[in-house]
Amino acid sequence: MTSTQPSSSPGPRPEPASVTGVQLMQGIGVREARGFWADAWSSVLKQPRAVLSLTWIGLVAFFAVFAPVLASGHPVWFTEKLADGSQRAWSPLASSLSSADILLLVATLVAAVVFVLPIKKWMGWTVGRRLGLLLASVGQGAVMVVVATALKGYLEQREVPPWAAAWRARPGLPWEAAAVVGALSVMIFAWLPTFRTLAARLSFAVLVAVIAGAAIGASWRTPPEVFSYRQKVDAGQAQAVWTLVPWSPVQRGTNLRLLEPGSDPSTPDRDAWIRAEFRPLVAAAREKAGPEAEKAAEAAKVDAPSPRAAEQLAREARERVLAEAESAVRAQALPELEKRALEKFPKGTAPEFVMGTDGIGQDVLSQMMYACRLSISIGLVSTGLAVVIGVTIGAIMGYFGGWIDTLLFRIVEIFMAIPVLFLLIVAAAVLPRNTYVMMMIIGCVTWTGAARFTRAEFMRLRNQDFVQAAQAVGLPLRSVLFKHMLPNGVTPVLVDASFAIAAAIQIEAVLSYLALGPAEQASWGRLLASATNEVGEFKWWMAIFPGFAIFLTALSYNILGEALRDAIDPKLKKARV
Amino acid sequence: MGTYVLRRLLLMIPTLIGITFLIFMLIALSPGGIGAALRAAGGSMQADVGSRAIQEAYLEDRYGLDSPVVVQYLRWLHRISPVKFGERAQILPTGEVVGQPRAMREPPMWRWFLNELPPEPAPVALETAPDEKNGEARSRAWSLASNGYARARSTYVASRAVFEQRLGDYAKAIGRGDLVDYRNRPDLGALSKLSPDKNSPAWAEVEKAWDATITAYRAGLDARARALGVFEAQLFPQVGLPVIPGAVSVALPDLGTSFARGRPVVDLIATALPVTLLLNLIAFPIVYLIAIPCGMLAAVRQGRWQDVTLGGVFVALWSIPTVWAGVLCLGYLASDQYLGAFPVGGLNDKDAASFTFLPTWGEMGFERGFLLDTLWHIALPVLCLVYGGFAVLSKQTRAAMLENFNADYVRTAKAKGVEQKTIVFAHVFRNSLLPLITMFATVFPATLAGSVVIERIFSVPGMGSMVIEAIYLRDREVLLANTLMIAAVNLLALLLADILYALADPRISYK
Repeated sequence: MTSTQPSSSPGPRPEPASVTGVQLMQGIGVREARGFWADAWSSVLKQPRAVLSLTWIGLVAFFAVFAPVLASGHPVWFTEKLADGSQRAWSPLASSLSSADILLLVATLVAAVVFVLPIKKWMGWTVGRRLGLLLASVGQGAVMVVVATALKGYLEQREVPPWAAAWRARPGLPWEAAAVVGALSVMIFAWLPTFRTLAARLSFAVLVAVIAGAAIGASWRTPPEVFSYRQKVDAGQAQAVWTLVPWSPVQRGTNLRLLEPGSDPSTPDRDAWIRAEFRPLVAAAREKAGPEAEKAAEAAKVDAPSPRAAEQLAREARERVLAEAESAVRAQALPELEKRALEKFPKGTAPEFVMGTDGIGQDVLSQMMYACRLSISIGLVSTGLAVVIGVTIGAIMGYFGGWIDTLLFRIVEIFMAIPVLFLLIVAAAVLPRNTYVMMMIIGCVTWTGAARFTRAEFMRLRNQDFVQAAQAVGLPLRSVLFKHMLPNGVTPVLVDASFAIAAAIQIEAVLSYLALGPAEQASWGRLLASATNEVGEFKWWMAIFPGFAIFLTALSYNILGEALRDAIDPKLKKARV
Repeated sequence: MGTYVLRRLLLMIPTLIGITFLIFMLIALSPGGIGAALRAAGGSMQADVGSRAIQEAYLEDRYGLDSPVVVQYLRWLHRISPVKFGERAQILPTGEVVGQPRAMREPPMWRWFLNELPPEPAPVALETAPDEKNGEARSRAWSLASNGYARARSTYVASRAVFEQRLGDYAKAIGRGDLVDYRNRPDLGALSKLSPDKNSPAWAEVEKAWDATITAYRAGLDARARALGVFEAQLFPQVGLPVIPGAVSVALPDLGTSFARGRPVVDLIATALPVTLLLNLIAFPIVYLIAIPCGMLAAVRQGRWQDVTLGGVFVALWSIPTVWAGVLCLGYLASDQYLGAFPVGGLNDKDAASFTFLPTWGEMGFERGFLLDTLWHIALPVLCLVYGGFAVLSKQTRAAMLENFNADYVRTAKAKGVEQKTIVFAHVFRNSLLPLITMFATVFPATLAGSVVIERIFSVPGMGSMVIEAIYLRDREVLLANTLMIAAVNLLALLLADILYALADPRISYK
């Protein structure tokens, strides 16, 4: 975050091991005063395991942003010969991106530029300032995408009121909808204190709205997921440039086969061909061995003690001879057949499935990458929501006390009385299966921890001098609560938030495992659920990879939480675990 | 202390009402409603809108789902509350609790056809009251009347549903298709404001359906009068104790009957609860036996390699998702593809009924018996239950021990030369046990529903499996009963923990 170099040393001056008072006055060995959080953060970064955890989370975040460009069944560039002889070159990948994909990519790009370039020198914006601006714009973009998705869902319903029916028939619908959503978001987000003057705020919000609106308008129509590119390439009608992992998570193999990691997609075709070719050979061999088998059966009957035993012995002898004949054919014909199968369906025409496929032939690696987005967003958004709700209610409870506290604490108690998982399962089962609803459910159920921490802190703070001074000068309640008390009482909540993110990720895994997770969305929990089935079969690759990813992510957040807690207050043992 | 406990107990009532109301509303929100879910669960796949509507109307009438949600909730609350209003219910020899026969709902749109509805007949008194001692005769009298009413009522509900369908057709025919929903049910309130258009081609059908409806309504009223007569004859013992006869009484809560299984919820809980208790009663001592020494070791060796290693193990165990642990156990330890050393699911072998209780050496060699068989089946679920709780409890032990290590009395003990062993075991450990014991009171009820996922993974027929099944089937009665039970036990346990704390630690007092 902020620089850890002593600011008073312009050149590379060696720092003395110990300094005297005179040296301190001369400015030798003086460290720049840093904020509370910057200090805590730098001591977190001193712990190697915390750095490792951050690296893993960064990796997950990287895939969360870049998964649609890294793993896609749509080629990056596709040149095909059309029926009339002309050529058409286009990028199926670009047209398959959704508005959320585009906005995430843009935001990451902007963030990289804003944090790498020396903007502080040019414009005087501190890191905190830049972070705030970035968060405001990302928030606005996210709200616009969510509202636009909801609007689109509403308009695509079977029965809609007349105005909606008229609107959806208009050709300019995408851009009009984007404009409406953008205007709405500007009305809300221009109130955020991003800049000092209203004009600057407005123009910032409008800029963000225009970019997000362009992304929404451009990707309004969801084209059907058709992956016929490879057939065209195989038929020699086209050429394609593929992404790193050339499979989409929703892309199903035509044969819907379950394949082990590292297997060639043409293996099932080969196996099927070999089976088909082999069957007549076996039948012929068995027929040829028929007389010999009968002879063996007759021979076996001779020294049987009883007629029933004779039947049994004869059957066994017959089968033995037939099986011998079959294995002879197998040894003789199978290698030949395998060679021919390889010629017919050569290896490597299609890229292999690095992590195998699931039960309906979808690539596991690509699903793993796309699931990173769910993991990151569920953890951050649901915990953010829980913190906002919990801090607000906890602050009111702690500040006012009395009957307000008694009343609001009943609400907290409702959530304490029933196991969170129970409530979550009920809510997830009856509400729509969609990512946003899921985040909302988790956030609305897990806020009580934050509320309890905030309540305790505010009860402690409300009698302190600075709060009473703030009240005495007549500051509005909003200012007393959130500007003066909150910064002094939010620490335990924020430390707990890291553990809460880990818990949210595990909850998501459980809900997805119970088939209550978001539909149409790759998820580690859902992959994990398909590792075992009713029959008792076990597919190790769908247990190991996603399970380990969930474990590592939860572990990383827990380690970060512990490191943060140790850094902030070694005595703060009240937090979870 | 007494007032404090009383206050806490009274404050539990709004909390319990709040939590059940929350769950009730959540289920009421479910798309398609409970009727649709029940119909789907019953395996009915009729594509025809009309017959689907009749079936749903029947189910909704049977479970009282056609009244407004808040009324339904109040009805549930009345059943669950120990204080009851109105006529006391009667308890049949089969254990079923029956109330007064429900009133008939008036037919829709009757103002189009009649000036006033047919009057409700007075209860028909039983001609010959069955002999007091002849229980069979009394049961027969009751079931005759009540089945008759149920049949008449379902005929009425079905004909009313048909009538509504015809009204829907009619509304479409007169060009008011906007009043009809996707199930072809018209908006009756809006429709009744219009005057009937008797020239419409759909009118004849409407009239025909109305005739059937009003006939069924009259038959229903008569049947209800007979059932009411039998009910008022009080053939069976009444439930509870009267406070004001005929108006207020006190009785045990009635948890209702499962929608999906048709059995009293109490019975279902009685079969599922012992299984969950068995799992937890085995898991808990193990957790405590492992976790407390580990936590103590970590605290005593604070900052050294033992502490660091144990700390790492705690965090790692805490981070392992339950579902992953379950799937790995199932795959590598239970599945035949790998070790195959444990059963894949269930609580007992399929031949368990013929087992002896204890293991025996019989003709067939070693037979494991019922006890060992059960233990063998629950080994993996218990393993999965244990590891998470172990991490939490060890951390708590360590924190409690460290807090005491920093206390003044420990420094004094050290200063006067008390042995380290005595300090750890006699002073610090005994003082650190306090939060651990009270924690048991709070953690234990949480596991009643906490083992939901584990029971699901290993198909153990406990409370968790019951709850999940109830959720999938929208079985409201089972869910609400479970919610109420878990919440009540949980709140009582929290109170108990606080009281225990005050009793054990004289420094704490409640006002």
